[in-house]
Amino acid sequence: MNATQRPFRLRRHLNKLRWVSLSLVFAMLVLLPMIAVYQNYVAAHAYDLLSADEQRFYDLMERLTSPFAADPAEDLDAIKGTTWAGRFFGFKIGDPLSALGQVAASGTLYWPLLLSVLIPAVASLFLGRFFCGWICPASFLYELNTGLGVLLDRIGLRPGRRHLDRRLKYLVLAVGLGLSAATGTVLFAAIYPPAVVGRELYYAIALNGFGTGAVFFVATLLFDLLVARRGFCRYLCAGGALYSLLGRYRLLRIQRIPPACNDCTKCNVACEFGLDPMRDGFGQECNNCTACIAACPTDALEFKVAWRDQDYQGPGHLGRRYRHEHGVAEGEPTNDRENA
Amino acid sequence: MHRRTFLRELVTAAALLALPTPSAAVRSQQRYLRPPGAAAEEDFAALCIRCGQCGQVCPNRCIEFFGAGNGAANIDTPYIVPREQACILCMKCGDACPTDALTAIPREAEAIIAGVRMGTARVDESLCLSYQGKTCGVCYRACPLQDVAIRAGRLEQPIVIAENCVGCGLCERSCIQMPQAIRIIPDHRRARRASAIEAST
Repeated sequence: MNATQRPFRLRRHLNKLRWVSLSLVFAMLVLLPMIAVYQNYVAAHAYDLLSADEQRFYDLMERLTSPFAADPAEDLDAIKGTTWAGRFFGFKIGDPLSALGQVAASGTLYWPLLLSVLIPAVASLFLGRFFCGWICPASFLYELNTGLGVLLDRIGLRPGRRHLDRRLKYLVLAVGLGLSAATGTVLFAAIYPPAVVGRELYYAIALNGFGTGAVFFVATLLFDLLVARRGFCRYLCAGGALYSLLGRYRLLRIQRIPPACNDCTKCNVACEFGLDPMRDGFGQECNNCTACIAACPTDALEFKVAWRDQDYQGPGHLGRRYRHEHGVAEGEPTNDRENA
Repeated sequence: MHRRTFLRELVTAAALLALPTPSAAVRSQQRYLRPPGAAAEEDFAALCIRCGQCGQVCPNRCIEFFGAGNGAANIDTPYIVPREQACILCMKCGDACPTDALTAIPREAEAIIAGVRMGTARVDESLCLSYQGKTCGVCYRACPLQDVAIRAGRLEQPIVIAENCVGCGLCERSCIQMPQAIRIIPDHRRARRASAIEAST
């Protein structure tokens, strides 16, 4: 096989690492409510009153957590919350959109909240929409949903492939901020998928089952299946809009190496955000997910430190040879990004 | 769908969400408490980011979250119904809250009495066993602020000291009468009291 002869390149495996990261975050969002329930049982001092199932659950959680926590009631409070707002060993960290939404709704600045979102916000300045690709628990489900769409396509049910305007999500962000201010509620908490997913998992596991947000989330899954692949993230997510704006001049970005590129379009097919890596079209929407790098058969995509994208660098080496052999002039638009 | 149609529908949906009247109508009918240290009810929805951490840290699982039943503005905000599960004043929720929706208050009697005002207990003497001549005293024993927020009179008749009662609801939870003879009347203007305290000190 050709693939075995290619030299090992770490960047081709970043996409797997990303899946590990997404899975870990999602697993934590399942585990934390379970820990909360276990802590309730511990606090109640009523092991004998638990049902047989609850006792099995208690024993399991005790086995899982006892290496890390001598006193479950206190020590297990070290990690709490969701990606929307959480606590990590006494250190509060949250989603920049939560602070922005709260400022808009309340008209006040609460510094502890703003400080808690500082690290993610600054990281986004350097890494762009990395939260969307590497951490977001909703992305995890949306990407699985894309996989479901592929399966449905295989049995003849064609998922929606509409194109809307990417700028729609900036409108959602702006209108959301305006409505938050007008109604005095933090509206984004209800329409921002990662916040909804974290909260609904907690409701389902630790409280009385799914809440109203589950309906919203299922609607977004259907939107992605029926209207546009990853449509919510691309067109409607207010957080995605905020991260895109923060990451407009991000320093870490994927760029194409034209001499290595053979214009095979695999990167464009792999990109769930519908970007155009093959013609250097990344933009502020790119979430550095590295799916295109993993898909590239000639390792022609790599991370570079640069504050802006390359303009279209022309076709790859196979494209050049094709043009040369078939006598097509260099400037002719056989491979024009705008016509895509 | 045309972009224009989509935008029009988006604006319509937004306008529907913005209508404040139904939520206000429902709010006045429901009796619920906010977790200890909560901001005034009129500010709460603007300050709470619906992260759910107050519920996650509550060792007593008394904090629950509104569904659509209490108005759009209150969806996913925390509440306590003391007769189902009352607050034990562990004060972990205020610590966990990333915003100023819940203020962090130290777990000390003075600080709790000064800063917490979920509501005030009120005794219905026609329902209370002790007032009917059958010595009970359960609510007095359940109160975490015994002889500060509640006194026991003749036949253990509960006498609420309103200015010290924080409204945790342990008395209502413990009352053996059905319907309960002692109940918490929510104080949804509570932050004004807290700010009045700040101003006076």
